[in-house]
Amino acid sequence: MAGGLRPQKARTPVEFFLQQLVNGVTLGGVYALVALGYTMVYGIIQLINFAHGEIYASGGYMGVILISWLFAHGFPPMVCLGAALILAMGYCALLAMALEKVAYKPLRQSSRLSVLLSALGMSIFLQNGLMLTQGVYDRAYPTEMVQGGFHVHGVIVSYMQCIIVGLTVLLLVLLNLLVYRTRIGKAMRATAQDKTMSALVGINSSRIISVTFAIGAGLAAAAGIMVGLYYGSVRYDMGFVPGIKAFSAAVLGGIGNITGAMLGGLLIGVIEVFAAGYISSEYKDVFAFIILIAVLYFMPTGIMGENVDDTRI
Amino acid sequence: MKRALSLLAVLMLALALTACGGKKDENKAGAADGIKIGSLGPLTGQYAADGNDMKNGVLAAIEVMGPEMGKLGPVTIQSEDDACDPRQAVAAANKLINEKVTAVIGAYCSSATIPASEPLMAAKIFMITPASTTEKVTERGMPYMYRTCGRDDDQSKAAVKFMTDQLKAKTLYIVDDKTTYSQGLADNVEKLGAGANLKVLGHEHVNQGDKDYSAVLTKVKAANPDVFYVSLQNSASAAPMLIQIARMGIKAKLLAQDAVYHPQLIALAKQAAEGVYLTFGYTDKTTPAYQKFLAAYKKYGEPGAYSAYSFDSTVAYLKAVKAAGSTDPDKVRAEMAKLDFDGASKHIKYKENGDSGSNYVIQVVKDGKFTNYWNPETGELFK
Amino acid sequence: MATLELSEISVRFGGLQALTDVSFRVEENDIVGLIGPNGAGKTTVFNVITGVYQTSAGQVSYDGAPLRGLRPHKILALGVARTFQNIRLFQNMTALENVMVAQHCRTRCGVLGAVLRLPGQKREEERIRERSLEALEFMDLGEYAGELASNLAYGLQRRLEIARALATEPKTILLDEPAAGLNPAESRELMHTIGRISSRGINILMVEHDMKVVMGICRHIVVLDHGVMIAEGEPEAIQRDPRVIEAYLGNELN
Repeated sequence: MAGGLRPQKARTPVEFFLQQLVNGVTLGGVYALVALGYTMVYGIIQLINFAHGEIYASGGYMGVILISWLFAHGFPPMVCLGAALILAMGYCALLAMALEKVAYKPLRQSSRLSVLLSALGMSIFLQNGLMLTQGVYDRAYPTEMVQGGFHVHGVIVSYMQCIIVGLTVLLLVLLNLLVYRTRIGKAMRATAQDKTMSALVGINSSRIISVTFAIGAGLAAAAGIMVGLYYGSVRYDMGFVPGIKAFSAAVLGGIGNITGAMLGGLLIGVIEVFAAGYISSEYKDVFAFIILIAVLYFMPTGIMGENVDDTRI
Repeated sequence: MKRALSLLAVLMLALALTACGGKKDENKAGAADGIKIGSLGPLTGQYAADGNDMKNGVLAAIEVMGPEMGKLGPVTIQSEDDACDPRQAVAAANKLINEKVTAVIGAYCSSATIPASEPLMAAKIFMITPASTTEKVTERGMPYMYRTCGRDDDQSKAAVKFMTDQLKAKTLYIVDDKTTYSQGLADNVEKLGAGANLKVLGHEHVNQGDKDYSAVLTKVKAANPDVFYVSLQNSASAAPMLIQIARMGIKAKLLAQDAVYHPQLIALAKQAAEGVYLTFGYTDKTTPAYQKFLAAYKKYGEPGAYSAYSFDSTVAYLKAVKAAGSTDPDKVRAEMAKLDFDGASKHIKYKENGDSGSNYVIQVVKDGKFTNYWNPETGELFK
Repeated sequence: MATLELSEISVRFGGLQALTDVSFRVEENDIVGLIGPNGAGKTTVFNVITGVYQTSAGQVSYDGAPLRGLRPHKILALGVARTFQNIRLFQNMTALENVMVAQHCRTRCGVLGAVLRLPGQKREEERIRERSLEALEFMDLGEYAGELASNLAYGLQRRLEIARALATEPKTILLDEPAAGLNPAESRELMHTIGRISSRGINILMVEHDMKVVMGICRHIVVLDHGVMIAEGEPEAIQRDPRVIEAYLGNELN
């Protein structure tokens, strides 16, 4: 701010484009992480888990509590971040498993609408729980923990953006390994394809459903922490808007499809930023949703195709 | 049994965060007689922070004035949440009417204040807003409508004057978040700026609740204006914007307005808030009236942007009631017109239309504190 | 003694009585055929045994222990596996994965082990792979291990279903119309395979429409009609039973 009014070198269109791309990918990475939770849960029990946004917010809060404490006690930034990530992901995984057990499992045989209403109720419950316990004021992350960045040909990349993108990629790779290379992943894929059959070949579907909730919640918690660090604060109602965006991303990619959710998240993030950058920020959400509608019009099952077994067990 | 256990587990997990923060809701005095004051504002949702500040201002004022009311007392508060939603505001206003309040301190968003005022006026209940700055609030010929804060038209004049006279700016970039208040101010600044030879390089709108402004800020950076006018509805939106502005390395001078004034802004944005200018109603924090307010408010934390206005609104009404010796609307109205006292926020003297005059000055965030900087009346820096 | 016993099973779906007082046993080393016209309730019997449906009355027991209330994966763990009338493979997985996924009930390492890839889990995964390849070999599917299930020919998909059921190491296997859609040569092959499965000491209960297959290999036959058991006995006796003939002919006349 102390720079005064001296003229600055104008930006070339290419630099402008690249800067917007960096911004879009960062935002898209966060959406992708949250979208995975929606898509995995929908893939396995056909439930739009409205409470997922609140799980993400809880992750953000757990993160601010842990990071503030650790940072104040002089731990190095990367240790704070790592420990907070692991603990918050674990906490949210437990929270989501408990949520599933209490709010969704007893309704497994009921109509879809009942479960959906239960999910909505849980969303309100968790959001108000956060408000009552954490207060209505924003909570500040120690943003000074990760500061600065670097220039590449006139494009500014902050270290926090690097961390977000790097961590997102790492988590996505781990998730892929889990789903395609491990036995539990095989069981998850089998359950998503055909629940009755999976049960008949010996897969404990309740456990798989529980694990799916836990994994989705863990990813959302990671996203919550990174968003908190990136934007500097968290707030009890922070889950609502990203929740809707991430859900759209899941639908865009093809609900139930893990690769689709990653792609969808990235796309929504980039579209939003480009729409704001080149057209008008006022209409950025409109553009994101126009693309969503257009894709669904021409590819009703999303970009990567749906992957859903809608039989009940 | 198993289910009961898991339910318990969920509750425990959800509340595990309790220990780490938050504060208790206070006060609901029970007496039926006496004076009942309604407090109306957003206690939940995006603007909950400001709504709670307002309510706390009323509480503090009741504490100070209550003992002085003699047999007119006791003074109690009935607090309602409008969530800044016009429909909820009307419902809350009707509830307050049923609760037999004689005055309402509120609301926050102009878009909630205006519809809520209709049923209140019909019931001859005073409405004193400590926060709604849209001009229209007091321009509808309503006899019981008062305003303790300033007006947007005055605020935008002060803003533009500062940009041209003090910052000597030639170019301007504007962003707002599309509320009656924030866009109204931004449009005014754009209009006045054009008349004052300020070239407007762009005027962008963002959504409320957004946290990512990277796309807009990249545009601002490319436009490289002298001044970037940030008109947002509250500090919770402004803090992430300031952080991202700093990260982007935008060199423009930043000018914001009174809605982003809140200690929370500095707590959240930290270093990124340094050097930000804002238009704000002038409050002399050295006066005995302010110190009295500060002492009464202490237990609610640091005062927000509208805490003092809310305090003064309540004090003004109670003073008028005391002078009138009853809560009869017409008697109190006559006394309201005679009020002339030093409030915590400013000197309180209501005009015929209910306004109390604006006294906008420019503040700056310096060393982690809001500090008076420049006075548009005199065109001079504060010492 | 791995005997499966159904005693006085009744199943009702709303107003529809699907099964009424059905009782029979599948003994050690038995091959039992369950036949009857369409809609007689044969697949319902399978669903009751495997825990997909709950009984309205009566009891299924295995090795003398009641199965009531057990969920499908628990029943499978006790050693009862099944195949489906309409093939239900995991179409997006390879033949080998289809068989491997079926061995969940036989493994001990938990989720954490799988995620962290502990050495114990790795060894176990190796064993599962070996056993699965063995099961594929047994069904002459060795060369198709890496093929996606959806790319296999129909006859091969049928065999893969059986391989998957065998991989769970059952003591009793329920085959739902294993010969459906097969040509005569494939049917003969199938009868041979069923014989080999039986000689491994696995009890077999099969639903089948192809009378050549049923009469050729079953040692014991149960006949259902409209959810009621109308006959039970050796193949020769069943073929002569007037009630059975009436049920089938009557059905044809309709």
